Amino acid sequence: MATSSFYHPALAFLMMAVALPFLPGNRRWKWLLLLPPIAAIYGAFGNAFGDHLTIGWLGLSLKLGHVDPLSRIFCQVFAVMSLAGIIYSLHVNDKAQHMAALLYVTGGFGCLLAGDYLTLFVFWELMSIGSTFLVMLNRTRESVLAAFRYFLYHVAGGLLLLAGLLLRYQITGSFDFGPIDPAGATYADWLILSGFCVNAAVVPLHAWLPDAYPRGTVTGSVFMCAYTTKTAVYVLARAFPGWEILAIAGTIMAIYGVVYASMENNARRILSYHIVSQVGYMVAGIGVGTYVTLNGASAHAYAHILYKGLLFMGAGAVLYAAGTQKLDELGGLASRLPWVMVFYMVAALSISGMPLFNGFVSKTMTIAGAAEAHRTFVALGLELAAVGTFISVGLKLPYFAFWGGKAPDPKRELKPIPANMYVGMAFLAILCLAQGLFPQILYRYLPYQEAVHEFVPWTAWNVIQASMLLGFSGLAFYVMRKVIEPHKALNLDFDWFYRLIGRAVLFVVCRPIAAIDDVWTVVWDKIGLRVLKALGWLTSWFDRKAIDGVVDGSALGVKGLGTIGALAQNGRLQHYLGLMVVLGLLIFAFFWYGL
Amino acid sequence: MPNDEPQGFLGRFLADQLAPGRAKAWRNAFLAILAVIAVLGVVIPNHHPHFGFDAYPFFWPIFGLGVGLVLIFVVKKIIQPLIKRPEDHYGDL
Repeated sequence: MATSSFYHPALAFLMMAVALPFLPGNRRWKWLLLLPPIAAIYGAFGNAFGDHLTIGWLGLSLKLGHVDPLSRIFCQVFAVMSLAGIIYSLHVNDKAQHMAALLYVTGGFGCLLAGDYLTLFVFWELMSIGSTFLVMLNRTRESVLAAFRYFLYHVAGGLLLLAGLLLRYQITGSFDFGPIDPAGATYADWLILSGFCVNAAVVPLHAWLPDAYPRGTVTGSVFMCAYTTKTAVYVLARAFPGWEILAIAGTIMAIYGVVYASMENNARRILSYHIVSQVGYMVAGIGVGTYVTLNGASAHAYAHILYKGLLFMGAGAVLYAAGTQKLDELGGLASRLPWVMVFYMVAALSISGMPLFNGFVSKTMTIAGAAEAHRTFVALGLELAAVGTFISVGLKLPYFAFWGGKAPDPKRELKPIPANMYVGMAFLAILCLAQGLFPQILYRYLPYQEAVHEFVPWTAWNVIQASMLLGFSGLAFYVMRKVIEPHKALNLDFDWFYRLIGRAVLFVVCRPIAAIDDVWTVVWDKIGLRVLKALGWLTSWFDRKAIDGVVDGSALGVKGLGTIGALAQNGRLQHYLGLMVVLGLLIFAFFWYGL
Repeated sequence: MPNDEPQGFLGRFLADQLAPGRAKAWRNAFLAILAVIAVLGVVIPNHHPHFGFDAYPFFWPIFGLGVGLVLIFVVKKIIQPLIKRPEDHYGDL
């Protein structure tokens, strides 16, 4: 490809989303869905660095195609994941679901390539709309309610971003989207950071994620688990590297996510909490802000999108086949869904950082980088989270879904899983293994190439250390497997506070404001209306007496003059001459004495 | 093939592992592997400990086991009883 060439990866997704409703309904249109991801892969791997698609609008310069090493690596994994997600969802006949996914991915690519905050904001909101429909289109009551909450929450986050970028423009006179020095940060930058943190699911702004993702469609959640939080990671890496608060927040996220995942009974909610945890590694890496940890955050985002997509595919396949995602209702499925189990385990071992799998070459980079930067508590917190990750996603979920001490139950009806779902899972499983075995596939695209050589994953000690950590975590699970057994329950999270805020707003609207409104209605009825009536009477009187008087008087005057004029025109010449003389004398007198 | 039976060679292999005695064999193999990697952790030198205290032998086995046991106990026996509610607590279902 020529060095100046550029193809915006969002373009074909947007075109397909617009065209989809008009395509004939013989289902051959599904094959066309593969074209946007293939074109996106072409663009993501081939686009030249620089600013492309710069357009002027209202005196502003909007950059729609900013390509640099950071945006390139995210674009690549977004493109690859879009292909996997589309393959996995090819059996879905509902065009609305595909349109929502296409628009959502469009928004994701738009954010990655945005060179200014205005462009970013437009695509940021497009993502919110697309993802809301991916939840809503599951078409259950709880999904619709969750989608509504999700949308409200993201609108609030979007408003924080909008307020921040407008105030920033007022301060700096620019919408440029680049690194912000924490030493010179303004309140506008903090607003922008807050907006980003909503989408990054930074604790305590995270609870929308485990609320919505388990309630999305089987295929929709596969897309959502990949794009929203990782887009937020990207924008944080671009604008806020080295912000200390992110190092602390990321470590808290990493631990918080595994704590909740260890309690949960719902398979996709376990995975959702693990998004919070894994994004915590990335946020912490950005916060530490060295080249190694920034590379680690990018590498882990890449690996995470692949294995988390595969985890959601596996859990979604179980839900699709068995009709439930609750672990206490599952078990004994290993022999009946063997390949789902195998693909799920590839992803589970990847997220756990097991040698051979891609989490091993990405997660360890962030931890090692934090330790090298003498951030002992950050690094130790991330190691602690790794133990919890393996226990909850690597062992608990598959154990209780596929085994659980239960024999296969032949009475359980399993819906056959479409071949395309297996193909999508196999595709991602191969990539997880390939990156783990050959880390250079990933490392060659890391944004800070000068620091890549500072971390070597495949050393004897790293392999043994990871094996010891995970192996003995496994022993802890084996000892405590009766204790960790999941049961039906709802575990309160920060969404309790969100709902409290919602109820408080509703209370304020229904009670004090409604009461004030009632009083005001009476006051208005008794006083305001009477004053208005009095003013009306006064105006009417003025109209009759003053306005009408002037108008009527003028009319009467004209009428009188007309009568006099008519009387003067009597046809007698001597009268006309007399009048002329009188008028002539009057005019002469006027000029003689008046001037 | 009816899907109420083990699916393919992999399904049959996995179903076979549920036979009496197999679970015990797997457990013994797992414990043996743990013993081997714990010994390897002592034999293979850690030239570059991250935290200082991780240079001690058996640090990582103790860390993994200890954190795992404490995490599961604290989460399931202390935290969850405090925050657990009925599934339809919010009336969303």
